[in-house]
Amino acid sequence: METFKGKIRLVIKNYPYKYRDFSYIAAEASLAAGDQGKYWEMHDLLIKRSPELDRDRLITYAKEIGLDVRVFTASLDTRKHAASIERDKKLAVDLDLYNTPTFFINGRRVIGERPYEYLKKIIEEELRSAKQ
Amino acid sequence: MKKLVVFIFFLSSFSLSFAEQRFIVPLEDSPSYGPSAAPVTIIEFIDFQ
Repeated sequence: METFKGKIRLVIKNYPYKYRDFSYIAAEASLAAGDQGKYWEMHDLLIKRSPELDRDRLITYAKEIGLDVRVFTASLDTRKHAASIERDKKLAVDLDLYNTPTFFINGRRVIGERPYEYLKKIIEEELRSAKQ
Repeated sequence: MKKLVVFIFFLSSFSLSFAEQRFIVPLEDSPSYGPSAAPVTIIEFIDFQ
């Protein structure tokens, strides 16, 4: 991200899928942190601590980044962001996605974990064609 | 000859559109980082677990 500062925008869609235990609640946690202006702090922490993403641990992470824990916990327990997560899941199914991460770089699909160099090459191609 | 040219044009435009397939993914109110006017937008479908 830093290499291309100001030139790229990153947008996150949630695709908690299959039968993984904590995928869904982790998505709720990220959006709950977003309500308190700390989406990216939580996003980074979840990736770092995965797969330890049970409810108790998520609450610990919320404390760690200085969230209002009462509000955060209420958000998890009421599934406040269920509609948005379901909307993303439906979108993923409509796009026939079966893997995460899946990227769309100006609409060009890249499926699965890729080396940074691979993504960088596509981004550079897109930046070049944007200049023309 | 003209027919051949048309045929080649058809073939090349077909393969080009295949290679350059671009998906339209609505952004909606999803979390985002970086300027909205950025020339490159990356949409990532994520599963944290």
